[in-house]
Amino acid sequence: MSNPGCKKAMPLSYHLPMNSEQYLQTIDLCRYYRRGPQTVHALDGVTMDVRRGEFMCVVGSSGSGKTTLLNLLAGLDTPTSGTVHFDGTALTALSRRQLSAYRARKVGMIFQSFNLIPHYTALQNVETALYFNGASPRERRECSRAILEKLGLADRLTHRPADLSGGEQQRVAVARAIVKNPEILFADEPTGNLDLENAQQITALLSALNREGLTIIMVTHNLDLAQQFSHRTIRMQYGRVIAGSPGRVGS
Amino acid sequence: MTFRDLIVVSTGNLRRMKLRTFLTTAGIVIAIAAFVSMLSFGAGNQQYVEGEFNKLGLFSTIQVYSQKESKDSLPPPKLDVPALDRLAAIPGVNLVYPYDAFAVEARVGDSVFSSRAQSLPSAAVRTKLFSHLAAGSAFDSNSARTVIVSDEFLKKAGVPPDSALGRSVVVSVKVSTIDSALGHILVDRGESIVQRLKRVRLDSLLQRRYRTRIVRQEASEIARRFVNGFLNAQGTVRDSLTIGGVRVRSTTGPMRIEPLIVPLATAMKFSSGGISGGPAELFAAMNNGTLFASSGEASAKTFSQVTIDFDPKVPYKAIRDSVEALGYRAFSFAAQFEELQRVFFYFDLALGVVGLIALITASLGIVNTMVMSITERRKEIGILKSLGADEPDIRRLFLVESGVIGLLGTCLGIAFGWLITRIVSAIAQAYMRNQGIPAMELFALPVWLLLLAVGIGVGVSVLAGWYPAARAARVDPVEALRGE
Repeated sequence: MSNPGCKKAMPLSYHLPMNSEQYLQTIDLCRYYRRGPQTVHALDGVTMDVRRGEFMCVVGSSGSGKTTLLNLLAGLDTPTSGTVHFDGTALTALSRRQLSAYRARKVGMIFQSFNLIPHYTALQNVETALYFNGASPRERRECSRAILEKLGLADRLTHRPADLSGGEQQRVAVARAIVKNPEILFADEPTGNLDLENAQQITALLSALNREGLTIIMVTHNLDLAQQFSHRTIRMQYGRVIAGSPGRVGS
Repeated sequence: MTFRDLIVVSTGNLRRMKLRTFLTTAGIVIAIAAFVSMLSFGAGNQQYVEGEFNKLGLFSTIQVYSQKESKDSLPPPKLDVPALDRLAAIPGVNLVYPYDAFAVEARVGDSVFSSRAQSLPSAAVRTKLFSHLAAGSAFDSNSARTVIVSDEFLKKAGVPPDSALGRSVVVSVKVSTIDSALGHILVDRGESIVQRLKRVRLDSLLQRRYRTRIVRQEASEIARRFVNGFLNAQGTVRDSLTIGGVRVRSTTGPMRIEPLIVPLATAMKFSSGGISGGPAELFAAMNNGTLFASSGEASAKTFSQVTIDFDPKVPYKAIRDSVEALGYRAFSFAAQFEELQRVFFYFDLALGVVGLIALITASLGIVNTMVMSITERRKEIGILKSLGADEPDIRRLFLVESGVIGLLGTCLGIAFGWLITRIVSAIAQAYMRNQGIPAMELFALPVWLLLLAVGIGVGVSVLAGWYPAARAARVDPVEALRGE
């Protein structure tokens, strides 16, 4: 499912999940927000690691800090304290520009509300992901078209998000996330706005990507889905990781 | 993001918000149109003056006058015939000719009227200054029997310019000779002198005050008789000449040119043997101390003004300095034009500032549009940041957007401004023609003005987009993606 035809995209060497080295690691990660006179402990001392090629699910109730953790891992947010190491590099030591390059080249993101740009077509939305990693306009168009066709959206290239179903929108979002051949994919409740059938399709798609070697961290409320497709599931509460269990794939 | 990407994304966004883009751009269009049309007026006037100066060859013309006082105690050098030779010897000087004018009575057909004439060498008449004739041609020798007349001269004569060529002009000049004036002091006054001498008390001559009074009285009486004789004993020199060319008076620029131009040698008979200009010339000659010289040999004649025509490649300052080194006063049209340019610069500056104020006001529209755009597109900014856009990318995106508005507004503004100048110019020219004034082009759109308009239009627009772009760049992607 990866996009090997795109030369400019980052080359990936997918590994099997078994016995892989620590790839993404957090040490005592904290993220506090000031809300009026109160300090909200969105993330409170999370230490965890993810191995290369792993499909890890993060579950927990609303406000447990799942999305905050994902934003910190993706380099969208900066921690109050603690560190995030990606492939041996501390994200907290990177400049804003380097963090942007990290997001542009290494990271793919999928959101619950799809976060497609409403006035762009499906093709343009996917192309947008390649604006920031040095691909030429022609490469952008070819890669985006190819990935959308692979995801079964060949007849939806010129459709705007409003003209697509929820499942199709999320597939466009997945296409946008993987078109640049990222090393790691963060999915923030990607099935939250989808019906069961579309949710299963998207999860199966992510699972297929993982089987090709893509490391995936998915936040979800759906424990069954998490158990079904992931290698490992961690549970969060009040900004802390309270439990971890192997998934069906992992076991 | 490459610059091409930025342009594509920016124009796409502007196309999406058609009405808002149109209204914001309209503000810039109006401001640039005002800026361009106002500066175009200044540029048009400057170009017109420069064109006229060029047409008349004034950049290579210097006028020379004698100094009223010299720096040292010696009297200032006279502007006489030998002076003409000295001026002609200055390197780069093509031609030197004096301004030599006199009052005439002209008769064309049945019309008889007073006018003024000046004599010019044929070489001078062929310079740019005189060569713009409405009809006919300049005389080709100094002894030609043709004259060049002005359109106003023909108007006085009641002759239409198109039928003036070949008609004869009888030129009469009253010449007062110094001899007649001198003779008048004594003529029929022998008895009077005897009577006066009888009245003198010889014993009182011993007193100095009495002697002074008697001398003053006698000097005053002699002067009165001299002037009386000069004015009342004039002779008339008459000659019939043919109109060979018609000159439009309004095209002579700042030069003083008389209605009638007579070839130099032909004009000699009018001025030889006396002073021909009436009382004014008489008193001028008395003041200059040239009264008796003028009745003598030609070389003693002095001129109030001499014109130098020089090689345009030679800097006017070099000629001017050489003239001043000879002890004369020099007036250069090129120097005058430099002064004029300074005036035009301040004029343009004032007009430009008014245009700039309009542009700054319009640019507030850009600030407003961009700030609104950012509020609406916070999520889009968040998405772009999640995809790897960094702060400079976002800043550039919004700066290019405001720059595109500025460029579009500037281009349309220049076109609109040009249209305004055409309309105003057409109205003004129709009015000028109606008033009998030769129609002139009031506006010009030189390349520097176009470049200035584009530079200022786009520059002000980009500056206006700076604050919104900086705000957009600072948008927190987490906040932006969270907000629905």
